[in-house]
Amino acid sequence: MELIERYTPTARWFHWLIAAVFLELVVSGLLLFLPWTGSGMLGNWIRIVHRIGAVILVGAPALFVLFNWRRSWFFVLEAFTWGWDDLTWIKAAPGYYFGGDPRFMPPQGYINTGMKLYRLAILAGGAIFVVTGFIMWFLKGIVPAAVFQWCVVVHDITFIVAVVMFFLHFQLGVFHPRMDESLLSMVDGKVSGVYAKSHHGKWYDEIARNNQNDPGAS
Amino acid sequence: MRVTRADFLKGLAALAGLALIRSPGRPDVARAAPAGADLAMLVDVSRCIGCWWCYAACKHHNGLEETTKPGVAEPPELSPDTWTTLRPVRMDENWSYLKHACMHCADAACVKVCPSGALSYNELGFVQYEREKCIGCGYCVEFCPFEVPRLEDNRATGVGLMSKCTFCKDRVARGEQPACAEACPTGAIQFGDRSQLLEEGRQRVRELVRSYPRACLYGEHEMGGLHVLYVLPDQPSAYGLPEERQLAAAAIVQEDILRPFAWIAWGAAAAGLTLNVLVARLRQIRAREAE
Repeated sequence: MELIERYTPTARWFHWLIAAVFLELVVSGLLLFLPWTGSGMLGNWIRIVHRIGAVILVGAPALFVLFNWRRSWFFVLEAFTWGWDDLTWIKAAPGYYFGGDPRFMPPQGYINTGMKLYRLAILAGGAIFVVTGFIMWFLKGIVPAAVFQWCVVVHDITFIVAVVMFFLHFQLGVFHPRMDESLLSMVDGKVSGVYAKSHHGKWYDEIARNNQNDPGAS
Repeated sequence: MRVTRADFLKGLAALAGLALIRSPGRPDVARAAPAGADLAMLVDVSRCIGCWWCYAACKHHNGLEETTKPGVAEPPELSPDTWTTLRPVRMDENWSYLKHACMHCADAACVKVCPSGALSYNELGFVQYEREKCIGCGYCVEFCPFEVPRLEDNRATGVGLMSKCTFCKDRVARGEQPACAEACPTGAIQFGDRSQLLEEGRQRVRELVRSYPRACLYGEHEMGGLHVLYVLPDQPSAYGLPEERQLAAAAIVQEDILRPFAWIAWGAAAAGLTLNVLVARLRQIRAREAE
C-alpha cells in the first residue's frame, strides 16, 4: 500500500510535547479555576507547576520558530490562505462530518478549512493566554487592579474555549470514523495514498506531480 | 442665683451617670455578644487626633513588627506587618486621619474570588482567613475595593501568603473589644451593635454637617454593608474610599457566570461531539449495507 509522509519526526515530537504540556496546564489551571484547589502549600505547588507549564508552552514554540522558521512561516501562512473552496468546505462540512456523502466536499490542500480555523484559534488563543498570563504573573500590583481583574476573566474565558477546542481535536483525531488515519499519522508520520487522496486531494495531486517530475523521490 | 455646692455635685453625678450609660468607648453589647449578633466598629474620623495608638495596639496584640510612632510625612502603608494604619488627609489647615484596615464587608470581593477557601465569613460576619489554606494567588489583593489584603510573595515563583486585619477575633470571642478600639483615647473607634452604631453615626453626621457640609456616614450599604462604619467630615473620595457600592463586575462575571458556564460549555461540547461520532458511524454502516 502506498504510504505518504505527512508529519516529520520533529513535527510529531513537537506535537506530543505540546499536547502533554497543554494537558498539564489544563489540569493545573482547572484546579485553580475551580474552588477545589488543595489549600496551602499544595495550592502554591499547583501554581508553580502551572507556571512551569506556561514557560514550556511559550518556550518550545519559540525555539521551534527559531530553528524551523521557514516551516513556522508556512504554518501561519497556510492558516491565512483562503479561497472559494474554503467556503464550499464550510457549507459541506456539517453533512460530511455527520457521515453524509463525501463527494460534496471540495478537494483540500495539506490542511483543510477546519484545520485553518483551528490554527487561527490557536494563534489567537495563544496570544491571549500569553498576554493575560504575563500580566497576572509579572505585572501584579503594577497594572491597575481592574486590568488584573479582567485578565483573570479573559484568561478563564479563553481556557473554557480552549478545552472545547481540545475536545473537538481529540474527537476528530481519535474517535471520528472519517478521520481513521489521523491518530496513527501523528505516531508514525504517514498516511495511506487513499486517505491522502480523499482527505487532502490538492496536496495529494501536488505530491503526485512532484513525484512525476522527480521519480527518485518517494 | 448662685448654685449650691450640693446641686453642683448632684449635677456632676447625673452627668457621670449619663456618660456611663452612653459610654461610647465600651458598649456592653460587645461583652455579651450573642451568637449571630451584628457587631461592628464605628470610626469617627472627626474625633481622630492621629495619635497612632490603634496602630501600635494592633501590632502589639497581633505580634506584628513594632515601630516608632509614625508621622504624617511618612505614614506606613498596610503590609503583612501592619494590619491597621492611618491615612493622613490634609483638610484646610488641619490633618484628618482615616483609619485604614479591613472593612469586613458583608459581600466581600476577597471571599468571592478566593479559590482556596482561605477567606470566609466567621459566625459574626467578619472576614476571616486561614493562613494555612492561602495559596498566595493574590486575587484578594487585586479584587478588594479598599486595597486592604497584602501579599508577601516571590515574584518569580509566585509563592506567597496574604495577611490582613482579623477584627481581633480572639478578643471578640472573649467578649472584649478589638485592640484598636480599646486603645483609642478619644472614642473615635467604637465597637458594638451595628444598628446602634449606625444610629449613633447618623446622629454624629447630623451634628457635623453644621460645620462640615459634606460630612457623611460611610459603610451602611457599601459592599453589602461594612462591619467598619465611618463618620467622615468630607466626601468618601477625599479619603480615597470608593463611591461604588457593589462588587467589581469582573468578580461577578468570574464567579457567578464563568464557573457554571464552563461546565455547561464542556458538557454540551462533549455531548455534541459524542452524538456526532455516533451519527457518523451509523450512517457509514447504513451506507455500507446499502451498497
